[in-house]
Amino acid sequence: MSNEEPKGLKAWLLTTDHKKIAILYLYTAAVFFIVALLLAVLMRTELLTSDKLIFGPKLYNVFFTIHGAAMVLFWMIPVLLGFFANYLIPLMIGARDVAFPRLNSLSYWFYAASGVIAVLGLLLPGRLDIGWTGYPPYSITTEANTALYIFAVHLLGASSIGGAVNFITTIITMRAPGMTWGRLNLAVWGFFGAFIIQLIGVPVLAAAVTLLLFDRYLGTNFYDAAQGGSPVLYQHLFWFYAHPAVYVVALPVFGIVSEIISTFSRKKVFGYTSMVVAIMIITVLGFETWIHHLYVAGVANWSRVIFMWATILIGVPTGIKIFNWLATLHKGSIRLTTPMLYALGFISLFTIGGVTGIANGLLGFDIHVHDTHWVVAHFHYVLALSMTMLCIGGVYFWFPKMTGRMYNENMGKLAFWITLLGSLVAFMPHFKLGLDGIPRRYWSIPEVYSSMMIISTIFSYIAIAGFILAIYNLIVSAINGEKAGDNPWRAKSLEWSIPSPPPFYNFEKIPVIEEGPYEYGKPGS
Amino acid sequence: MYRFVITATTSMAVLFFIFFLTVAEAVDPAESWQKHYNLWFIISIIIWLTVTVPLVYFVFRYKKKREDEDGAYIEGSTFLEITWTGIPIIITIVLGVQSWALFNQYRKVPQDAYEVRVEGFQYGYEMIYSEGIKTLNELRVPVGPVKLSMISKDVIHNFAIPKYKVREDMIPGRMTYQWFLAKEPGEHMVYCAELCGPGHSQMLAKVIVMEKNDFNSWVESYKIESSALSPEERGKNLVKNLGCTSCHSLDGEEIAGASFKGYYGGASILEDGSTVTVDDAYIEESIKNPKAKVVKGYDPFMQPYSLPDEDIKAITAYLKTLK
Ligand code: HEC
Ligand code: HEM
Ligand SMILES: [Cu+2]
Ligand SMILES: [Cu+2]
Repeated sequence: MSNEEPKGLKAWLLTTDHKKIAILYLYTAAVFFIVALLLAVLMRTELLTSDKLIFGPKLYNVFFTIHGAAMVLFWMIPVLLGFFANYLIPLMIGARDVAFPRLNSLSYWFYAASGVIAVLGLLLPGRLDIGWTGYPPYSITTEANTALYIFAVHLLGASSIGGAVNFITTIITMRAPGMTWGRLNLAVWGFFGAFIIQLIGVPVLAAAVTLLLFDRYLGTNFYDAAQGGSPVLYQHLFWFYAHPAVYVVALPVFGIVSEIISTFSRKKVFGYTSMVVAIMIITVLGFETWIHHLYVAGVANWSRVIFMWATILIGVPTGIKIFNWLATLHKGSIRLTTPMLYALGFISLFTIGGVTGIANGLLGFDIHVHDTHWVVAHFHYVLALSMTMLCIGGVYFWFPKMTGRMYNENMGKLAFWITLLGSLVAFMPHFKLGLDGIPRRYWSIPEVYSSMMIISTIFSYIAIAGFILAIYNLIVSAINGEKAGDNPWRAKSLEWSIPSPPPFYNFEKIPVIEEGPYEYGKPGS
Repeated sequence: MYRFVITATTSMAVLFFIFFLTVAEAVDPAESWQKHYNLWFIISIIIWLTVTVPLVYFVFRYKKKREDEDGAYIEGSTFLEITWTGIPIIITIVLGVQSWALFNQYRKVPQDAYEVRVEGFQYGYEMIYSEGIKTLNELRVPVGPVKLSMISKDVIHNFAIPKYKVREDMIPGRMTYQWFLAKEPGEHMVYCAELCGPGHSQMLAKVIVMEKNDFNSWVESYKIESSALSPEERGKNLVKNLGCTSCHSLDGEEIAGASFKGYYGGASILEDGSTVTVDDAYIEESIKNPKAKVVKGYDPFMQPYSLPDEDIKAITAYLKTLK
């Protein structure tokens, strides 16, 4: 391996260095995030009145389709499994790069191309209006260009499978001497679980959309009831991946929360083993819950009952993680930096999303709120807003490592409080709408709710303003922030033991690991 | 360990007590749903407080005092970890059993339910009664249990009645069902809760619950009345009930298609630049096969309707009246 770091634009575009690829992922995901936020602004503005305000039903359907797809497929998953995993895994396990650096680069380019194709669905004629779920028969009979979405999903799938193979191999085979499984960072464990889910789930999603492609363009009839097919089959295949996909997002997030809380409480993560076991239980159990998306889709009664049990039981390992975090704070030495605020803010939003998620999982409960705004509120709390906030917190946390500079702490905190305020309030009215049975994906909400809709819109704007301010702070600080030093947090995890920004080869000498990453305040050391 | 056993058994006892209180033999799923919700709500508030109160407290109580101070060195605690695994498991079981019982109520249709067949289409519902009556977007039922047997004619739809807290998808090629207890006369909204196209938010209907006698006389009068309407009046009902107005306004506003106001007798410019006069033949063609002549400036997403000739004539007659 050459120790000379290549420079210039070409070096970035052709890079196989995991840190550069990670940063490419971050930039690209951020662009899709902002596009999706813009669509959210447009949707929330349209929802201000029950009549048509700016664009009406057709574009509303297009906007939530692209908003949902971009947020889940091109922002949340890539920022976690593209950016964080890429940047952190080699540094945390003591490796110089990933197992297959060129495959890594290919994964990135497939992802970027796929995202661009999906966003074209917003601009080209035959705009995608099928929802990010793309259920047939509507996705077959609509005039929209379903092929575009299918093609994007295929490319993204290839990218995800490549990434999963790459990182699972890396974690298993490239750990530094002494980096036992019991000394891995919880973030690495989270990534590990997430990649296993990707490896098993993504091929099934690819199958689902491939059959859709054949049905629509080649006249097959897998999903055509008139010809002996079943439209509900698609829903099974789709959710077999798409439900576990929320754990693809959640597991790394849980890991990152543990890193941040431990560092800023200067205290070992409470119950390391149960944290790992919880991650693994969620990885496995996550595949047994998909029918909760089909609770009212006419499937067999007994199957709904079985899947209810698996769904609500996932609350238990999730609860373990939350209580372990609380116990980590107990008797710590807590510093409320920006990343720490994001981690704590995450817990508070996530708990709201968690208890309402139990409600969705409860079969009898869900029959009244399925596919209503209750669900919209639930997943914006549990996943969308909370986990996005945590990702931003994570970027702040490793920002000094990546750039060698410090971000502006006051502006960081201000942005956090703005986002938290906006996020807490913005989706509360949607719970009420859901309890009253108003379905989701309605461009026009009945007149009686207009004051609630105005509140929701205003606080959505506030939340979004907070996101933008947080991003602005990062950009400005990357250019002229103060020098941060190699380990401004005095953290004990391996990635902080090397210079900031890390050299091209990461570790001058492959380190020999003697203790776990969270040994703060260990007696006698 | 001793302390744990005590905690676990008392909390289990308390929760089961609440549980038996709330699953009292209600036969109305909508009522049981409310009880289920109440239990869930209490538990959720407790969980939320159990998380946020210590969170905020610890942040203030254990604020860093010296720059280089470390927290206490604690690896974990088996007792605590078993506690916060065990109690959630118990809560999960209690809520799950109650939800399961509720679900059984939802799925077990009473013997004496009045049955109506409902067919969903883009964008509306056709109700087919055993008396040989059909209505559009209006479900009339007598007081008492009602069973809906549902199917879709095109894409997947859903039939949700928030008042009775029921919903189930309508799927092409497969019958699904649901039932509810219509307790008192009244009118309630029906929504489609499955994305089915640009008209999804306008796919609305009503349930009209009537006293048994009123319902019977409605059944009797229905046939006489519908044949007595003039073509214009029938056309007006059709345009409303078939869902045309979710895309074509009656007041000049542009929704997805052209407005019907002042439409008949005017001219439409087609995709290829040619012009057609809006007359009986063109309207008939546009309804039966909208894609044959696509109007410039609109996306061709109107679905073909196969209506009997007299219905198309009635619609045309009605459109003529919209000056
Ligand atoms: C999903 C929305 C939708 C619904 C529902 C709908 N239409 Fe249309 N309709 C359109 C669109 C879009 C066009 C213009 C494109 C085209 O010509 O296909 C159109 C075109 C037409 C035209 C020709 C328009 C012109 O400007 O010359 C007629 C006539 C018409 N529709 C009648 C009806 C009637 C009658 C119904 C109810 C039975 C109906 N439509 C229901 C969307 C709809
Ligand atoms: C403040 C920021 C946000 C606002 C104001 C917002 C607003 C909305 C609105 C209005 C809808 C449509 C609801 C409906 O009519 O059914 C929606 C849907 C959705 N949002 Fe967001 N959103 C935000 C952030 C996010 C984020 C960060 C994610 C990331 C995962 C996300 C994921 C989704 C998904 C998956 C859907 C469903 C799309 C569909 O129905 O196909 N949103 N959002
Ligand atoms: Cu799910
Ligand atoms: Cu619908």
